[in-house]
Amino acid sequence: MDELILALEECDLSEQAVCAPSDVTVLFEFREPIIEIFGFPITRTVFLIFLAALVAILILFFGLRKRATHPGKYQLSVESLMTYVRDEIAIGIIGPLGVKYYPYLMALFIFILVGNAFEITPLINFPITSRMAIPLFLALVTWVIFVFAGFKRNGISYLTGIVWPPGVPVALKPLVGLIEFVSVFFVRPFSLAVRLFANLVAGHVMLSLMLVTAFVSVVGLFTGDISVVKGLFGFAWWALALAIFMFEMIVIVLQAYIFTLLSAVYIDTSINVEH
Amino acid sequence: MRTYVFAQLILAVEDGESSEGGGVDLLLPAPEELIAGIIAFAIVFFFVWRWAVPALNKTLEARQQEIAAEYESAEKAKVEAESLLNDYRSQLAGANTEAEQIVADARDQGDALKADIVARAETEAGQIKDRAQDEVEAERARIAGDLKRQVADLSLDVAERVVGESIDAERQRELVDRYIDDLGGVQ
Repeated sequence: MDELILALEECDLSEQAVCAPSDVTVLFEFREPIIEIFGFPITRTVFLIFLAALVAILILFFGLRKRATHPGKYQLSVESLMTYVRDEIAIGIIGPLGVKYYPYLMALFIFILVGNAFEITPLINFPITSRMAIPLFLALVTWVIFVFAGFKRNGISYLTGIVWPPGVPVALKPLVGLIEFVSVFFVRPFSLAVRLFANLVAGHVMLSLMLVTAFVSVVGLFTGDISVVKGLFGFAWWALALAIFMFEMIVIVLQAYIFTLLSAVYIDTSINVEH
Repeated sequence: MRTYVFAQLILAVEDGESSEGGGVDLLLPAPEELIAGIIAFAIVFFFVWRWAVPALNKTLEARQQEIAAEYESAEKAKVEAESLLNDYRSQLAGANTEAEQIVADARDQGDALKADIVARAETEAGQIKDRAQDEVEAERARIAGDLKRQVADLSLDVAERVVGESIDAERQRELVDRYIDDLGGVQ
């Protein structure tokens, strides 16, 4: 936060068009510990990660606490969300075996959703999924699960099916096999992590730059530090930021959905190789 | 592109602490955030696995059972209502038949009573007529007797006056009676 405020103070709109920090990492790196517990630094980001877990749990807890047979609106929403992930993602993609992976996919979806939603949550305004630690860890968990599930269900034929793919002309088998091997075991976890990470980084950069520029412009207009034209541009920045705010709402849900869906697809391709 | 990123990544690592302006640091997970992420996600997963999913299943199951029970009781109520309706209908039909029976019985009774009264009246009227006829007969006989006697007396009187002598009164009466009887035969 300090860095952001610092960036804000340094911003001189008479020279720059947009308030951009010289180093973009100041928008993401909050490494100063607020407190330390047994030597473990609780930084702002660490705090937000635990907060996201807590919020995710509370969302589900308050939705299912009453277990009313005649549910209210909130209970119905939580139930719909959970049954959607179960029926459309877990069972819909993987099939009957998907029930086994449903708790993981559900936890994945709700945790990423809340982590993403912090991007536009007032007073937080920082998506924890824009920190590589979170997408990378979750992508690795998905990787471990689908590789493990593949070997457990199909044995060694899981690996041979990838490096020596059936239904491909023999001459092409080594090449396709190599591509498949790299794709499945290296590109999948990487692309899964980077997709989520990059989307949230981009959203956070856009929103913070536009809102900071808008703020500095409008304040500058009143203090007379910048020209009236530039000051009025601040309102345009602000309107644009609001539009992006709306757009980010979609991104937040969509990226959580895509991550969960692709995890299910990867598990499915591992255990149901005949597809 | 990826090669470029990786090259930068390696450069960044070689440079040690945050390189100026590259933003490559963003691609490296911060250790404390990784640890926090692992713990936080583990907690969420454990909660979903042990509590949320069973809670959802129980709720949906209970709802399903309740709906089934409601449907069953509604079905039962429907059957009950239908049998009740049938009862009422048959009762109504019975009542109608009974009413018709009562009306028919009443009509029969009325008819019988009417016939009885008429017959009795007829009998009585016949009796009255017979009695009246008898009385008339008796009266006529009495009057005829009286008349016959008066005519005999009168004839006797006249004859006495004409003949001037009195014949045996008993003999005269017999003569007159025979005469009157002859008169009656002529009539």
